[in-house]
Amino acid sequence: MEHPILFISLILEKLGLPIPHGPIGNTFLEKLCEPYMTYTWFVMIFLVVVGKLTLSNIEMIPGKGQNFWELLVGGMYDFFNDNMGTELTEKLFPMISTFALYIAVGNLIGLIPGFMSPTSSINTTLALTIIVWVTHHIIGLRAHGIGYIKHFLGPIPVLIPLMLPIELISNIARLLSLSIRLFGNIMAKETLLGILFMLAGAYFAPLPIMLLGVLVSLVQAMVFVLLTVVYFGQAQEHAH
Amino acid sequence: MAKKLSTEMVELLGNYGHIGFTFVAAIFIGLGGGIYLDEHFFDGKTSPWFTFIGLAFGIGAGFKSLFDILRTPAAKPKDEDAEG
Repeated sequence: MEHPILFISLILEKLGLPIPHGPIGNTFLEKLCEPYMTYTWFVMIFLVVVGKLTLSNIEMIPGKGQNFWELLVGGMYDFFNDNMGTELTEKLFPMISTFALYIAVGNLIGLIPGFMSPTSSINTTLALTIIVWVTHHIIGLRAHGIGYIKHFLGPIPVLIPLMLPIELISNIARLLSLSIRLFGNIMAKETLLGILFMLAGAYFAPLPIMLLGVLVSLVQAMVFVLLTVVYFGQAQEHAH
Repeated sequence: MAKKLSTEMVELLGNYGHIGFTFVAAIFIGLGGGIYLDEHFFDGKTSPWFTFIGLAFGIGAGFKSLFDILRTPAAKPKDEDAEG
């Protein structure tokens, strides 16, 4: 398949930085210049700059920019509050809402020609998932101490030899399914768009897929955050 | 009305859209663990027993996560009704 034109990679190449031609670079600098890294930084800069522009002077009567953020952040806060309780929300709201914004913007940015979704690389999604997975175990251990193991023993003591492996497997499966679902959906969208652009870009063939891409991007960001919140809530509450 | 409908749609997709993937991931984790035990931990002496045991546990874990998904959101609307 033809290599997509990524404008950050082009700029970096003009600046003389090494751009890896394979899927992964060899040297440290090549690894830093991979598209998913550079576009991750792009999304970070975008979010910081937009936040700075719209929220630099917070007023009692919000303007357009502040109104948008208040609606978004307020909506997310209420959603987390309903699903995992006030205590956890107070502690973990910055982390989960950052994930939500980053994943949503990162998914949507891939729809613009010349950009790439950083979430279409397994490295990004696996990193996010490992953070979530480790955090939900830490929450469980802090809430229950050693009694957290009861979460993995099932309801009846007789069934422990049966339930322990099943619970462990389904817990590790969270790691796999959470990362590969986001990666697979977004990579499929990117690849499909790339192929359609190559085949019939002049006849607007990618347009319907772009429309679906908006839906997929938002739904996948929503699913990731929803599952994160559900896992945190489950780790917090008492076993069965 | 349309906004409420679309949020509901997205929530439903969020709740049930990952059933297939979670199910498959559990089976693959079980099967992979069984193959690892057979080939690397016991050096192929016990092959193929742990593979099958792992596959069985994986399928069990898949169904368990399926029931979890089905059970968890069902509890929520009742709470909302009780509050409102």
